[in-house]
Amino acid sequence: MVLHIFLALLLLLIPAGALFVFDRSLLQNLGIAVGRMAFQLLALCLIVWALVKYDNIWLSLLWLLLLSVVSGVLALRRMKLPMVKFLLPVSAGLLVSALVVGAYLLWACLPAEKGFGARWFVPVMALLVGQTLTTLIRGLSTYQSSLKADEQQYEFLRGNGTNHLQAVLPFVRRALQQVFAPTAANLSVMGVYAMPLLLCGIFIGGVTPINAFIVTLMLIAGCLAASVIALAVTLWLADRQLFDKYGKLK
Amino acid sequence: MLEVKDATIAVGGQILATGLSFMARDRQLTCITGPEGSGKTTLLRTLMGFLPVSSGYVSVDGELLTVKSSQAFRRMMAYLPQQIQMLRHQLEPPEAPVCEADDFGLWNPLPPKGIVASQPAPLPPDDIFRLAEQTLQEASDKQIIIADEPAARLTPELAERMLQLLRNQVDAGKTVLVASRRPVLVDHADLVIEMNQNTY
Repeated sequence: MVLHIFLALLLLLIPAGALFVFDRSLLQNLGIAVGRMAFQLLALCLIVWALVKYDNIWLSLLWLLLLSVVSGVLALRRMKLPMVKFLLPVSAGLLVSALVVGAYLLWACLPAEKGFGARWFVPVMALLVGQTLTTLIRGLSTYQSSLKADEQQYEFLRGNGTNHLQAVLPFVRRALQQVFAPTAANLSVMGVYAMPLLLCGIFIGGVTPINAFIVTLMLIAGCLAASVIALAVTLWLADRQLFDKYGKLK
Repeated sequence: MLEVKDATIAVGGQILATGLSFMARDRQLTCITGPEGSGKTTLLRTLMGFLPVSSGYVSVDGELLTVKSSQAFRRMMAYLPQQIQMLRHQLEPPEAPVCEADDFGLWNPLPPKGIVASQPAPLPPDDIFRLAEQTLQEASDKQIIIADEPAARLTPELAERMLQLLRNQVDAGKTVLVASRRPVLVDHADLVIEMNQNTY
């Protein structure tokens, strides 16, 4: 195994050689980046290894809870929204969507030998949270910023007799547009211009191409469903942070 | 009919009017006027139940209007806001953005940055009038019309047409309340409430 790792790392001599000749300053950057990547991946894989070794449902759920909170922090940093107000809605949105869709996939769709076994639970939930994080950033930031930029439309709808839920629907629509327009663009090139890493991973795991296609399809369908659930839960929970008791935007 | 009785109107701790009393009746154009910052918009927002009165009361057809009960009353109201020119998305709902697949998608890029929506471009006077007309047409079953500076961003010709539009609502038996400083509206109102007196 050590020899194999060494042989694989020998491949790095090719980019290192090219940079040594053409741009030595970038060589150092590349070295640091590869080192960091290896360390981070090792840490991640050790956590997953422990989860799979102990294969305890409560431990897996605790990991999912932590993953949702950490992802929530990352999302809010990317959106530049206040942690105190939005961490609970965002983390809860990620957690609930992953749990609902993940449980459905694991029990009803995927060929997992035991439903909540860590070997399937961990990658499926990680994939759902990771994908949902991206769409939630686009959705929540669009919703929040379009409400601020276009508050007059909300006031207009409220003033004309619609209730709060009806008045925010145009903004929910905009958030969904921002979530699904890039999703559709990326999905449409998958398999033609882009080879999803997910599919490569399933191939490497020894699954036949047809089964890999089926599993990928199921997981993509799950990601799309989880995106909508996460956005709905987050917007519902964030409502009190966005509006005062008179229904006016804070 | 909309009644204001001994009302104190305040916003952010600043009292804009005390002891305010008037009745905006059916088949009547009531105009609230006064200098900028005198509280015309705040009064209209209070009459719609968006803000509470500090003292006194507001009632619609004898029923008390409070912030809690206001949702039910607003179903009887049509509203043309002061910043109506900013309602472009009400006339033209935004289209989904045109997106391309991400570069370097293969490498699991960082999550995207948040999107910052920008304000829509203001509507031109013709579209402002079209939106007002459309809103009032859709509100044919509503009894109370509230318009905040409806002629402020209109050409003189369109301001005349706006007045006519509001008079048509009066002729249809509705209660029409307008906040305006434009003489074209003030001079043709059946009742004028001045907001620069502080007490009434």
